[in-house]
Amino acid sequence: MSQVAAEKPRSPLSRFWHTWRFHINVLLLLVPLGFMPKYFADAALFRGDTGLGEREVGEIQVGPWSLRLAELRNAAPVSDGPAGYLKSFNAALCDSCRDQVKATYLRIGKPRSLRAAGVIFFGTPYHMGAALPVPEKTKNDAELWITMEGWDGAMHQASIPLSQASPATVAWLNRQGGKP
Amino acid sequence: MSKKSRSKLWFLVHSWLALPIWFFVLIVCVTGTLAVVSQEIVWLANPQMRASPPSDDAPLLSYDQIIAAIKKAEPQTLVESINRPDESHFALDVKVSYPDGRSVTVYVNPYSGAIQGTAPPFNFQAFTRALHGWWLVPFTNGYSWGWYLVSFLGLPMLASLVTGLVVYKRFWKGFLRPTLRIRHGARIFWGDFHRLSGIWSIWFIAVISVTSTWFMIEAILSDNHISISTAPVAPVVPRESVPLTVDGAPAPMISLESAIREAKERIPGLEDSSVSLPANAYSHLLVSGRSWYPLIYQSAEVNPYTGDISTTRLLSDRSGLELVTESMRPLHTGDFGGIWIKLIWFFFGLILSMMVLSGLLIWTKRTALATANALKRNNKRPRAALTGQPAPAMSREATEGSR
Repeated sequence: MSQVAAEKPRSPLSRFWHTWRFHINVLLLLVPLGFMPKYFADAALFRGDTGLGEREVGEIQVGPWSLRLAELRNAAPVSDGPAGYLKSFNAALCDSCRDQVKATYLRIGKPRSLRAAGVIFFGTPYHMGAALPVPEKTKNDAELWITMEGWDGAMHQASIPLSQASPATVAWLNRQGGKP
Repeated sequence: MSKKSRSKLWFLVHSWLALPIWFFVLIVCVTGTLAVVSQEIVWLANPQMRASPPSDDAPLLSYDQIIAAIKKAEPQTLVESINRPDESHFALDVKVSYPDGRSVTVYVNPYSGAIQGTAPPFNFQAFTRALHGWWLVPFTNGYSWGWYLVSFLGLPMLASLVTGLVVYKRFWKGFLRPTLRIRHGARIFWGDFHRLSGIWSIWFIAVISVTSTWFMIEAILSDNHISISTAPVAPVVPRESVPLTVDGAPAPMISLESAIREAKERIPGLEDSSVSLPANAYSHLLVSGRSWYPLIYQSAEVNPYTGDISTTRLLSDRSGLELVTESMRPLHTGDFGGIWIKLIWFFFGLILSMMVLSGLLIWTKRTALATANALKRNNKRPRAALTGQPAPAMSREATEGSR
């Protein structure tokens, strides 16, 4: 069988393969080396060593309370398949309101009631996160609403322009070109 | 095709399965072997992770006592979850959140509740797993392509096992008459080594290659949004059962001990090896651990205000398919029965790495021989250098195998 192969003239592709086949190893080893800085940067980000997120939005006053908001990634929303596109935000509650706030929610557009306040934050008051669904048809002048609920039943709301919360998301929405 | 040329073909397939990427395969095997005992390596390197019982009958603190001890030592620190590693010489892994926003794992002595140290920023365990599992390629949209790259190796590995057994005629005789000739040169030694370790690792290679192939299938299913899960969507704590407080302070929650008691009542034999505190006011306390079947965890979600069990995920809830697929990961990592199983996996991981290396050495030596032969013939026949180099060695191997 090898004899048969030998009688055939070799194509350039086959010669290329025979010369370089073992160099695939080198290419494959370069992959983890190349991704190593990214791996350690991400590990530090998730430990909270490099702050609340890749981009801090700032302190936002919500009634008597306030929270520090940050984008986990300074990037466009990511597709989660059937769930649509999600954008991750992180937040930390103010020192004085830590024990008063029962829950914090995010939503694009004004919520009609507390029950439709949007996605809830998970985590501790020092560092919590929420994955906000961003419909592709969202208008680029939309507002991000923050709803906070107190243990005593109080509710406070505030909003900031989406362009302030996440310029990358607005840039992404603009690129969508007003999809229906 | 004659029987002889068919076995030659099998041999050729076997020789070429891992070759062009042999070093990649070797590093994947070595990192996998390290990952099996990564927890133990960190334990050896980091004294803060150790917690030997002060005496044989020393009582373990309850999780409530652990949290109280942490609160006393560091009043601002919030506990997110507590994990009790399998072996008693490990400290508890407690995931905590600090006021500066960092969330880290601290090692807590299970007998005294003392915080012995913080997990180092370089997480060796996570790093070896990431390197072995997805070649450090980040997960940006679904599974990373590194995951596919590594898990795909399960297929050539399975094919190596099958072709190896086909080529090695009457391999079962190797169990009865183990041969490892040391004094007959490197080529013979590595050949014997490759065959001897091969037959004793049949089970291990089968387990590793089948589970790796499953990891690839799992990724394909997930990236195509196909779910085989029968797990119900986790409900939130109903708004009515979260009490309002007049003074605006957080509503009191039940103790972890009572949550564990409820969970154990519902799930007989449950080990309380892991407790996750509610991640917000409307989420549950999660108690999980193994029971009689060591490969799969069972869990219960407990309402933190009323103590009612909201949902459970039991062995009996799983479909037959899920029992198989959920067993794949522990079977791959050897993490289901303590240190001895891990050491067996580690040992056979080393053997498997050596098989990649010995396979390559055999190939190189054989190719060197074949090239030398070909060069000799080259003087007589100009095109001979291009004839299939493994040919002379193949016939040699075939006779060697059928000895």
